[in-house]
Amino acid sequence: MDRQGTIQAIEAGLTDVLEREVSGLAEETRFFEDLHLDSTSILELLMSLEEELGFQVDPDELDMKDFVSVGTFVDYLDKVVTA
Amino acid sequence: MTTQPATLEGVAYHAPERVVAVEELAERLNLTKSKVQLFRKMQGLKELRYDPEMRFEDLVLPAARQVLDEAEVPLSRVTHLIFAHATQLLAPSTVDVAQELRRQLGLTRATAFSLTQQNCASGMAAVDVAGELLRLDGDPDARALVVTGEQAFTAGIQLIPDTAVLGEAAAACLVAVDGAGAPVRSYVTQTLGEYSNGVRIGKERAADLGQIYPEIFADTMRRAVSEAGLTLADIELLIPHNVNMMSWRQTIQALDFPRERTFLENIPRFSHCFASDVFVNYVTLRDEKRLVPGRHYLVASVGVGTTFAAMVITHRED
Repeated sequence: MDRQGTIQAIEAGLTDVLEREVSGLAEETRFFEDLHLDSTSILELLMSLEEELGFQVDPDELDMKDFVSVGTFVDYLDKVVTA
Repeated sequence: MTTQPATLEGVAYHAPERVVAVEELAERLNLTKSKVQLFRKMQGLKELRYDPEMRFEDLVLPAARQVLDEAEVPLSRVTHLIFAHATQLLAPSTVDVAQELRRQLGLTRATAFSLTQQNCASGMAAVDVAGELLRLDGDPDARALVVTGEQAFTAGIQLIPDTAVLGEAAAACLVAVDGAGAPVRSYVTQTLGEYSNGVRIGKERAADLGQIYPEIFADTMRRAVSEAGLTLADIELLIPHNVNMMSWRQTIQALDFPRERTFLENIPRFSHCFASDVFVNYVTLRDEKRLVPGRHYLVASVGVGTTFAAMVITHRED
């Protein structure tokens, strides 16, 4: 999946988690400051994408630095989806 | 003069036999698939004990009867019964649960009351209060019985959004002063009253609390260890409440305490059982012969609202 496709999957996941339409995300969009997510919402998004994109997360290996912005999260997903 | 320590003369727990997987509660708790996965995988809450057919007294009384039987003390020596619970109202207003427990246990000499303000940290608070009351009375043979146990009788009670799914268990702890049991070497709490709305503080304030939670909890535990005259290196095991894995991952990192000396094995098995967790965990470890006489154990819990509590206990064989 290319980066734009991954961003669309994040938008769909966030729409589910936040129960409101989320679209138009840019790589620079920050989860905490711009979207006002908390850490559990990020993890719930991760769980939603885990099933959608078919990868497995090890909760003990998570690094919150991967969840700073849409761009860092796409980098993270690229790694785990192809692993 | 050194204050004589409260001692734990007996601890027991009782839980329904019915085991329920968290995903089986999805409909009752209105959990989406990703919320279920959040609880199962990230929070580590997989199963819990839950039996809506069980009578309240059948949950709460067996552990209390067990510690009274095993202690082999005359019931007339039990001068206090403290029922510690997190859910504010467990029975219709015409029923005083503490008095009812006192009556059913035959503790005719005991003063009975409830303690609930520290929510899921109330069980530990009750041990401290029991010690204080016994010291005030000054009778070395007197005992106080701490009882915990409550049921998830509504969906609202069974869920702390995004944080915990609540299971059912009850516990009892017989307390003396300077007795033969495990001495309580310290007890420290910190309460943040600005979060007193508890589960209703809203997402934004919950996120604020989430940011400071690990450091304040770690600080509370460090103080308890220090007041016990010990260092973290002296602590054999950290015996925590079972709120979830994520908060414990962050908290032991803030405390700089090894994960392998933190007892997290009951989180997936029991989930969070209101004010009973630390007693359930203590008994689990004792029954598995993983508590060493003379070694020190750090017991820690948090009650929503928000009270951070930590206690250091030196284990002795019953």
